[in-house]
Amino acid sequence: MAAAKPDPNFQPEIVVLYCRQALDAEERPPEGARQALGLGVRLVLLPCSSKVEAYQMLKIVEQGADGVLLLACPEKACRFLTGSLKAERRVQRARQLLGLVNMGPERVALRRVSGLSLKDILALAGQMASEVKALGPNPMKGDNLQ
Amino acid sequence: MKPRVGTQLEKVLLAGHFALTLEIGPPQSPNPEPLRKKAALLKGLGDGYNVTDNQTAVVRMSSIAASKIILDMGCEPVMQMVCRDRNRIAMQSDLLGASALGLRNVLALSGDHQKASAAGKLKGHPGAKNVYDIDSMQLIATIKGLRDEARQLGGDAIAEPAPFFIGAAWTPLGTPRNYRVLRLAKKIAAGADFVQTQAVYDVPAFAAQVAKARDMGLTDKAAILAGIIVPRSAGMLSYMDRQVPGVEVPAELIARMKQAKDTQAEGIKVTLELIQAVKEIPGVKGVHLQAIEAEELLPEIVAAAGLSPRPQV
Amino acid sequence: MIVAEWKPIPELLASLKGHKNILLVGCATCVAECAAGGEREVLTLAPVLKMGLKEQGQDVNIITKTLERQCEPEFVEELAEIAPQVDAIMSLSCGIGMQLVAERFIDLPLYPGVNTTSLAIREQPGLWTARCAACGDCMLGETFGLCPVARCAKSLMNGPCGGTRKDGKCEVDPDTECIWRLIVERAEARGRLEDLAKVRPAKDWSNSGHGGPKRMLREDLRS
Repeated sequence: MAAAKPDPNFQPEIVVLYCRQALDAEERPPEGARQALGLGVRLVLLPCSSKVEAYQMLKIVEQGADGVLLLACPEKACRFLTGSLKAERRVQRARQLLGLVNMGPERVALRRVSGLSLKDILALAGQMASEVKALGPNPMKGDNLQ
Repeated sequence: MKPRVGTQLEKVLLAGHFALTLEIGPPQSPNPEPLRKKAALLKGLGDGYNVTDNQTAVVRMSSIAASKIILDMGCEPVMQMVCRDRNRIAMQSDLLGASALGLRNVLALSGDHQKASAAGKLKGHPGAKNVYDIDSMQLIATIKGLRDEARQLGGDAIAEPAPFFIGAAWTPLGTPRNYRVLRLAKKIAAGADFVQTQAVYDVPAFAAQVAKARDMGLTDKAAILAGIIVPRSAGMLSYMDRQVPGVEVPAELIARMKQAKDTQAEGIKVTLELIQAVKEIPGVKGVHLQAIEAEELLPEIVAAAGLSPRPQV
Repeated sequence: MIVAEWKPIPELLASLKGHKNILLVGCATCVAECAAGGEREVLTLAPVLKMGLKEQGQDVNIITKTLERQCEPEFVEELAEIAPQVDAIMSLSCGIGMQLVAERFIDLPLYPGVNTTSLAIREQPGLWTARCAACGDCMLGETFGLCPVARCAKSLMNGPCGGTRKDGKCEVDPDTECIWRLIVERAEARGRLEDLAKVRPAKDWSNSGHGGPKRMLREDLRS
């Protein structure tokens, strides 16, 4: 795996999928790619964290993202009642499958949050980046990630 | 009444003596010596010796071969036969072969499932394909057909009847308990002549099931031998209570074993009490006694229980 | 439904060794219901295989397709356009659908992506349990609608063995009901316990696979 050749200049690319309900009421939903804290972040707004399935998270990794971070509401605070619980199970499934092919289960993660600002999102993406940095660049990386 | 088959076990029961069967497990070895050693130790102690058929689904010397070896030493075998490994063709063929070798007592069983091989102690063969072409009930009926009608299960005749004294197993305290007496009735209707039970520790509960069987007239049709397993420790008893289906061990008995200074002596004492207690239950015609991994205790226990010497009939 | 489950990932990866363009084909019928081979599972497995093979130094292109039913020739025909682009097919359908695909595309190696295990029901979300063994000699009428052939570990036909646990579960698996315990309870509830007192004779297995591969013929429906 790529972890064998650490690159000090490696900047993980993180895809953040976040629940609209977890966003601070005052915050305008941010969208798209940004540069922040020395990493590439792509933000994707979801109406609920349960709108993303395991295969979609796996596909994002397969297409070269170094990490996928799903931001979900606290379990009891899900507007759709069981949405964030489903999201957690799907993340577990994706992590399990990544583990089975030695891709590092850490590449997909879920965090439970509320009242998010754009700054918070970027900070969480930064944490995620530091967690996956040790894995090295995603070996699937090519021209796929847009 | 004249014996039908004429095995020692049958004759002892017919004569109204309290019967005693013991167990000799075949080795995981092609060498008959361990088997002969056990048989030599137990020879003369019992009326019959159960020879297990790959019990706990672990490969051992075949029951039929081991039965013949101990028969030649003067120990009358009760050849066990399970439905797990052979279809009706193989089982009937082996029954004819067993008969040709002079084996006359046979105990029909479902058999331990291969997935629970050796309770996890050995690898066993959990990936084996089981057979269960016929079940133990149907095996009993098949053996009866070979004996009483000289007819195979498929309907074809055999040249002459194969004389077998037919045994069945009974788990009187198994779940669902209401059905267990009915299942015994089925086994007896299918052709069982004698019945060996799962280990008894809870005597009143066992007696209650036997009473039901007696009310149905079952104890006149087949001889019930109560299973007794020598308790070796409180741990063993509580394991059996928790983990062995159909075995109920009263808490007082476990506590008694726990408190005993000399566990072995206490275990023997309990065994003797159990034998005496089941003997007093009307309809119980004998005991099937086991001392797991402690066969050397049996001569002493059998003598102390007043079951020695065995009647000559 | 027919129930199948993914083969272990290492086995799948090993079977695809040496292939470059792979068609991963699912079936939207039974195996979709049991979450083994429907569209969602096809889409899940595709990136997993791609990453797993890449990790072993093998770059592959995986084309995904999920057929309405893999056991009907007209649906299998939908693969005809894709087949020329691939050098192997991995199917996530039951063994029936797989064989139809293998027969239609006889020059392409076909690898099973799943093991077909049982005829089962979705008992709870995420839990499937066997109901039928396709034994060819149905006895449900005598067992109060509960099948001991499929649901007893020993396929016993005359009541429970001595292995029923105190809680009524099977000795072989603490999470599986002893089906005979349930049969007895149902009989008791209907006041028909006596029905279970009859010795059921040996079963005729010849109408199942034991009688040779099954061939069912209906002259009136032949063309």
